[in-house]
Amino acid sequence: MPKLESLLLATASGSANIQAYELELKRLDQKTRQLVVNAQTLNDGDVNHIRLLLAVTDVTDARAEARLKDDLIRDKAILLQEVQHRVANSLQIIASVLMQSARRVQSEEARGHLHNAHHRVMSIAALQRQLSTSPGGSVELRTYFKQLCQSLGASMIADPERLSIQVTADNSAVEADVSVSLGLIVTELVINALKHAFPDERSGTILLDYQSSGKDWTLSITDDGIGMPAGSDAPKAGLGTGIVEALVKNLGGEISLSDAAPGTIVKISHQESAGSQTSYSNAA
Amino acid sequence: MNNGRPVVLIVEDSALIRMGAVDLVLTAGYEALEARDADEAIRILELRNDVDLVFTDVQMPGTMDGIKLSHYIRDRWPPVKLIVASGAAILEESSLPSGSRFFSKPYDEHTITDAMARLLLSETHSMT
Repeated sequence: MPKLESLLLATASGSANIQAYELELKRLDQKTRQLVVNAQTLNDGDVNHIRLLLAVTDVTDARAEARLKDDLIRDKAILLQEVQHRVANSLQIIASVLMQSARRVQSEEARGHLHNAHHRVMSIAALQRQLSTSPGGSVELRTYFKQLCQSLGASMIADPERLSIQVTADNSAVEADVSVSLGLIVTELVINALKHAFPDERSGTILLDYQSSGKDWTLSITDDGIGMPAGSDAPKAGLGTGIVEALVKNLGGEISLSDAAPGTIVKISHQESAGSQTSYSNAA
Repeated sequence: MNNGRPVVLIVEDSALIRMGAVDLVLTAGYEALEARDADEAIRILELRNDVDLVFTDVQMPGTMDGIKLSHYIRDRWPPVKLIVASGAAILEESSLPSGSRFFSKPYDEHTITDAMARLLLSETHSMT
């Protein structure tokens, strides 16, 4: 290897410095090896006896390993992106089919159910979208709720001057599993308020708020509509109520309904310290 | 424009999503044309000179994806409006021709029809 030789000579004479010099060792019938060479002159004052301390490291395997790791990371990123596209596409198929049935059915009630099913799918889709852009698999709730309410508003509010949804939330970020439950609860409660709280072109605002402190949290949906009818006028619990109750229970939370005068406050809270104790405050 | 009705070309490889998009476009009161990929879309654009808007998917088999297709359309048929939808949550707006709109899938149908109405309105304005 003439190049290495000249470099070593130059190092010995003091005119060059070999540090981490990389070269390929090519031998007949053997695989090329990648070497890293470090050379140091040992000069103890006798210029006629300058010695060279030469360290050669074979980095072939280490390099191959590093390359493999890079390839794996890249493959994983591509695969993840592909899965995300696939999930988005699958959700689009479901959403498209639901909307097509909603446009075709004759019954107003059936159409309502299909629209609700569509909202639930879109709620999960909003989460999926958020997850695909947030590292570490945790979901920032404020962004998620805003996106969710914007999507619900876009499809359910015909006149944004008349009805609006506002979102306030602290900086909480939660795991994907928890956020999908919270998202579905919000979807049901917001749909419910939009459908029932503002009849006869009544105008108003729905306010969604989420605050947490340690492991305790409170989610509230407040509207300034006509309020919940009580007694015999109270509506029969539908699928939406069932979904909310099941999810709240799953999150270890409690649900309470109260009069906001005007309107209704639905509050869902989780108190770690409360444990399994149940207390119903003014449950309607 | 065909008999006063704007013409929308839908480019989407998934049959069910395409079907849904056609239904959406028809419900909005436009005429709908459909293509399964970019090559078919270009053939249709070459045959008909009345397409006002192209609503395309991004990830599609064939020689061009939706982004390449949208640039191709902008170059060859500059007045045609463009809406691009993709399974990717975020797409660099700069990767699309200026003036085109991007929406992530699954898209909200009202948002799409709103965007179509706005783009088509700006067309009639610029023509008068």
